[in-house]
Amino acid sequence: MDLYLYIDRPSPIHRLDPRAKLLMLLGILLFAVSSDHPLVPAVMFALVLAAAQAAGAWRALKRVRTLLIVLSLFSLVAWSLFADGPTRLLGPVSLESLLYGVGTALKLATTVAGSFVFLATTRNEAIATGLIRLGLPYNAAFAFSTALRLVPTFVGAGATIVQAQRSRGLDVESGNIIQRMKKYLPLIVPIFASAIRSTNHLSMALESKGFGARRQRTFYLQLHLGAADWMMVCTGLLLIAASFLLRFSGYGKISGLLT
Amino acid sequence: MRELLTMWKNTRMIVLTALIAAVYAAVLIPFKAIPLVPGFTEIRVAQVIPPAASLLFGPAAAWGVAMGNLLGDIMGSTFGLGSLFGFVGNFLLGAIPYMLWGRLGPLSSNQEPTMRGSKQVAEFLIVTVASGLACAFMVAWGLEVLGLFPFTVLGSIIAINNVLLPAVLGPVLMALLYPRVKRWGLLWSDILDPADIGAGKTGGLGAWIMLLASVVGWALCLFLSLGGGGQLLMPGFAQGGQGGAVTVVAAGAPVALLLLAGLVLGRARTDLSQRGKKAA
Repeated sequence: MDLYLYIDRPSPIHRLDPRAKLLMLLGILLFAVSSDHPLVPAVMFALVLAAAQAAGAWRALKRVRTLLIVLSLFSLVAWSLFADGPTRLLGPVSLESLLYGVGTALKLATTVAGSFVFLATTRNEAIATGLIRLGLPYNAAFAFSTALRLVPTFVGAGATIVQAQRSRGLDVESGNIIQRMKKYLPLIVPIFASAIRSTNHLSMALESKGFGARRQRTFYLQLHLGAADWMMVCTGLLLIAASFLLRFSGYGKISGLLT
Repeated sequence: MRELLTMWKNTRMIVLTALIAAVYAAVLIPFKAIPLVPGFTEIRVAQVIPPAASLLFGPAAAWGVAMGNLLGDIMGSTFGLGSLFGFVGNFLLGAIPYMLWGRLGPLSSNQEPTMRGSKQVAEFLIVTVASGLACAFMVAWGLEVLGLFPFTVLGSIIAINNVLLPAVLGPVLMALLYPRVKRWGLLWSDILDPADIGAGKTGGLGAWIMLLASVVGWALCLFLSLGGGGQLLMPGFAQGGQGGAVTVVAAGAPVALLLLAGLVLGRARTDLSQRGKKAA
C-alpha cells in the first residue's frame, strides 16, 4: 500500500521552493472558494490541471479520480436541494441552487486536486523544512515529519495484528453494531500500547544525538528562492488579496440565491 | 493552557505527540475507504483514541490528534481547505477531556480515570460528549464558513462518529491502559515539570465554559442550520427569509471565541494521579 504521493520528476513545478508552492496553493484554494459563481472555481480548476500536466502528476490525480467524481456529484446534489432560488427548474431544484451546486463541486475538486499536485511535487522533507523556514518551530515540524515516517510502520503493524487476531477467531463482521464495535478493542489496544511503550527509548536515542541541545540548528537541505519562486510568491499573494476582495465586495455572488 | 505550549521543550512529550499522531492516522486511513460523506468524513474506529489519549498524555494528545487527523487527510485523499478546521477541531478533541476531568464540580468523580466505578465512567462520558461536540461544531462550522457543506449534514454525522464509539469502548480502553501507562511513568503530569503546567483558580470556570460552549453551541448551530429561529435571532441578517447559512456562520463565531476562552482559562488537575501514588 503506497501511502506517499510524491512522484519524482524533473519538472519546473518540482524545482520550485516548497514555500512558494505552499503560498501559491493557498492563493488558488482561497480564490476558488471566494466566489459562489462557478466561473471562478472553474478557472482555478483549469489552472490546477495545467499544473498537473506540467508536473507530470496525473498518476497522483488518478488515485483520487473516483473520489473527485463522487465528491462533486454528492456536493452538486446536496446543494441543489439545500439551496434555493426564484428560478424553478425541476421540483425543488432551481437554477440558482444548481449553479451553486456546480460552483461548490468545482471548489471541492480544486481543493483536492490542488493539494494533490502540491504533495506529488514536494518531498516530505522539503515540506517540513519549508514550514520551519516559514516560522513553524523545529520541534513541531520534527514531530510532524516523524509521525509521517511512522504511519506506514503502524499501518503494517495494524495489518499484522488484524491477521493474528483473525487467526485466533476474531470476527469483526458478525454481531450487532455494539458487538462489532467491541471487537475492535483487541485491534486498537496492542497497536496503541506497543507504540507508546517505545517512548522512553526513542527519547533517549534522540537526546543522545543532541536533540533539543541548542535553540538554533543547521539543516542539510538548504532552500533558496529564485526568480521563478518569487514570481510564484507574488502571484500567490495577489490571489490571496483578490480572494478577500472578491468575497467582501459582493462580486461573484449568484443573484437570488438562498443558502 | 500553559502546558500546551511548554510541552514542546520536553523530548518525551514531543515523541508522544509524534507516536499518537502516527497511531491515530494509521487507524484512520484504512477506514477512509468507507465514507459517510465522501471527501469529508468516514466511519472512524480511531475516534476511540482521542479521549483516552487526552486523559493519559494531556497536551501531547491534543497536538498528536490534530496532527494525526491532518496526516490521515493527506494520506487518505481528503486533504483540502477543510483540513485546517479539521486540525483545530481535532485539537479540541484531544485537549478538552484532560482539561475537564475533575473540574466539573458535582459531575466529577475527583478520582484518577481508572474507570473503577460508575461515577468515573459517567465523567468519562461527559468529557467525551463535550470534546466530540466541540470537534463536530468546529469542522462543520468551518465548512459552512467556506460555503463547502451545510452544517446540518456534517455537524450531526461527525458528532455521532465522535461520541458513539468512544462512549462504548473508551472506558474499557482506559481501564486497560491507565495502570500500564502510569507504571511506565508516561502520564503527562508525571513527565512535565510542575512549573510548566498551568496553575491558578480559573480551571473550573474554563471547564464549564468549554462544556457549555460545545454542547449549546453545537445544538444552536444545528437548530439554525435546520432553519429554526433564524429570523427571530438574527433580524438584521435574515432579511427576506434568507436561510440558515448566514445565521449559522454568525452564531458560530461567538461559540468559537468561547471555546478559545475556555481553553485559555482551563487548568488541568494534576493532583489526582499523585493521590493515587500516595495511597499506594
